Amino acid sequence: MTRYALTRLGLLVLGLVVASALIFVSLRVLPGDVAQLVGGTQASPDQVAALRESLGLNIPLWQQYVEWIGGLFRGDLGTSLLTGTPVVTELVAKAQVTLPLAAMSLIVALVVGIPFGVLSALGRRHAGGTALSVGAQALAAVPVVWAGMMLVVVFAVWLGWLPPQGFPRAGWNDPGAAFRALILPAVTIGVVEGAMLLRFVRSATLQAIGQDYVRTAAAKGLTRTRALLRHGLPNVGLSIITVLGLQIAGIIVGAVVIEQLFTLPGVGRMLVADVAARDLPKVQGELLAVTGFVLVVGFVVDLLHRLIDPRQREAS
Amino acid sequence: MLRRTALATSALLIGALLLTSCTASSNDPAPSGEADPNATLTVRLSLEPSNLDIRHTSGAALEQALIDNVYQGLVTRDGDQNNEIVPALATEWTVSPDGLTYSFTLRQGVTFHDGSALTADDVVTSLQTAKDDATIQNSADLANVASISSPDASTVVLTLAKPNIDFLFALTGRAGLIFKNGDTTALQTAENGTGPFRVETWNTGQSLTLSRYDGYWGERAGVAQVVLDYIPDQSAATNAAVSGDVDVALEIDPELQSQIEGTGNFTIESGLTTDKGILAFNNQRAPLSDQRVREALRLAVDHNALAETLITAQPLNGPIPPLDPGYEDLTGSISYNPDRARELLAEAGADNLSLTLTIPNVYPGTLTTFLVSAYADVGVKLQVKQVDFSTWLTDVYTNHDYDLSFVRHVEARDFGNWADPTYYFGFDNAEVQSLYAQSLATTDAQQSSDLLAEAAQIVDDQDAADWLFLSAPRAAVGTNVANFPKNSLNVRLPLAGVTVASE
Repeated sequence: MTRYALTRLGLLVLGLVVASALIFVSLRVLPGDVAQLVGGTQASPDQVAALRESLGLNIPLWQQYVEWIGGLFRGDLGTSLLTGTPVVTELVAKAQVTLPLAAMSLIVALVVGIPFGVLSALGRRHAGGTALSVGAQALAAVPVVWAGMMLVVVFAVWLGWLPPQGFPRAGWNDPGAAFRALILPAVTIGVVEGAMLLRFVRSATLQAIGQDYVRTAAAKGLTRTRALLRHGLPNVGLSIITVLGLQIAGIIVGAVVIEQLFTLPGVGRMLVADVAARDLPKVQGELLAVTGFVLVVGFVVDLLHRLIDPRQREAS
Repeated sequence: MLRRTALATSALLIGALLLTSCTASSNDPAPSGEADPNATLTVRLSLEPSNLDIRHTSGAALEQALIDNVYQGLVTRDGDQNNEIVPALATEWTVSPDGLTYSFTLRQGVTFHDGSALTADDVVTSLQTAKDDATIQNSADLANVASISSPDASTVVLTLAKPNIDFLFALTGRAGLIFKNGDTTALQTAENGTGPFRVETWNTGQSLTLSRYDGYWGERAGVAQVVLDYIPDQSAATNAAVSGDVDVALEIDPELQSQIEGTGNFTIESGLTTDKGILAFNNQRAPLSDQRVREALRLAVDHNALAETLITAQPLNGPIPPLDPGYEDLTGSISYNPDRARELLAEAGADNLSLTLTIPNVYPGTLTTFLVSAYADVGVKLQVKQVDFSTWLTDVYTNHDYDLSFVRHVEARDFGNWADPTYYFGFDNAEVQSLYAQSLATTDAQQSSDLLAEAAQIVDDQDAADWLFLSAPRAAVGTNVANFPKNSLNVRLPLAGVTVASE
């Protein structure tokens, strides 16, 4: 197990290195630069050149990369060209919106996906189960943006229960308001992701119902449902963990979109603004942090798998 | 499209519901409530600055938020009085008859937000630095300044190398802002200005909060706090207004306007701007170097219909907008005539013409859809290439690599771009250049304005570009808000005089 964990950790680091190089190179392919944007439509080429120099943009690319990687080992993601503040500081500030949002979305997705997925599989021959399944299919196809707008119209504009947009200026110093501001965005992401999860849970459950061990348990006198819950679901649970790992990536992507719609000052909105402003040191730091987060989730999922499933442990 | 209609319908329905619920439950909004000096004014804006360093960073969002509110120059402009130049840190000024020497009398009792008093030395060094340091925005505006000096503690004298009638106006811009000499404030995230407000907090990606500066030299601001709420999404902005999160919402989407009006808490206002929607032709590149082609492209567009389609626009009949000197209504110089356009294209041998329109992706699709179909009607295939603004700056602005381009030119008094053959328009006309130079060199405002009008007529006759429209953005101003400014709000938003009535 330790050997497996170490190998897996090695892969994680390798993944980060590859990601860092990819991020760095792909951003340099983008046309336009921050000096030009800072200069604007009234700046002469000489002025833009002077700006470029003052921003330190005329350093060779390989040197910029080496400096960036060197900083990473000291936990320094670089400095924003535009605001001069460390990227880490800004990331930490924005993560206070995005991480709670992602966590709340995940909870909503779990609440929607797992119980209703099992119910829909058990009731597959009843109208209710079919309706659930069809409903989930439709929900999973809904664009997050549209779902968000609909929720806003109903719960914010119409009923006035929740704020339609924005985050309290006091942030988490006003925990009630901050929590309320995240409810609609989290439900938006969570319902759409939960619908996808529901469909997965349903098919995994259906598969488990047909397994020999469930049939055996049923033959021994358990009802079909109890046999499924006792023996089938633990096996389903394993594959759900894997899917959840993938869904966390989906939630992060959803957060980028939803933060725009709800004007939430999170990592996603910052990222979009920084790409537009060509603040590349900041963008690469943010992208690496997000990539790192997803890779770490994958790492944890793999380890959990090992821990839970005795068959995989014996195989190694 | 279907989705949009569905949404609009439900929005209307909900608007109606809100209206009924409002009248049923709450009291009527007080028509003339007492101005509350402790009030907070919340204003929705769409475009957020990328940092607060107004000296080094471009973008209208910075000027909108900071000039007149936080930073001041010797003079400023009154957008609601046709951009008239009015005193700010200078109480008065004289211009020598030859138009070369400008003497400013400094206002007494001015302090920076850190408490220190404004001195003549601060003014001299601010302007000198702006002139010498090319990385300072609009530094070129001061290139013509030969010397800056301060003969006594309350006077600053600027001498020009040659007369420039736009010089005072240039001083109302960024290059003319006054900073404390030797200031060590980190201007990217903080400030130290002389205006009626100071920057309280900046939540990036969210809002900028200004608070009243009690040591202000002039009349104290009418509200204790201003929150500039940056909400780029139009429906989020509408929701914010409908649910009472903001007192004023600028640049509202006319399609969503009825929802805001339905609350009964806002009046919709529309002011003038110098925000010109210009369809640039690459005058240096064939076939657009052929005037017949340029004229044909202008004749193919029904400008009145376009303005109606865009709603927050009016026809702009010439290169100079109504708020600027030299404005003349050149309606009739070109009027919609697709038949004539086809003839001209045939004459120019430009049948089956295919052109690319390079346009930043921030503009609504209505405009490009309109142009594509207008041009298709005269046999020109228009390909639309949407790019982000940074790419636009490189490809179009710097490298001049485009056929047609569209951006909104928000600056006031920027006619000089037509007299500069190296500008991305690539329009090179000796007569226009000469007239423009003369218009700057004269010391007589009327004469200058006449010369500009003459030059503008030539630019128009030569079909240097197509002035598609003048922006007329709409603002939803709360009925509890008084004295909100009207004109040029996309570049200047002086909020000191605004008051908010108590509930």
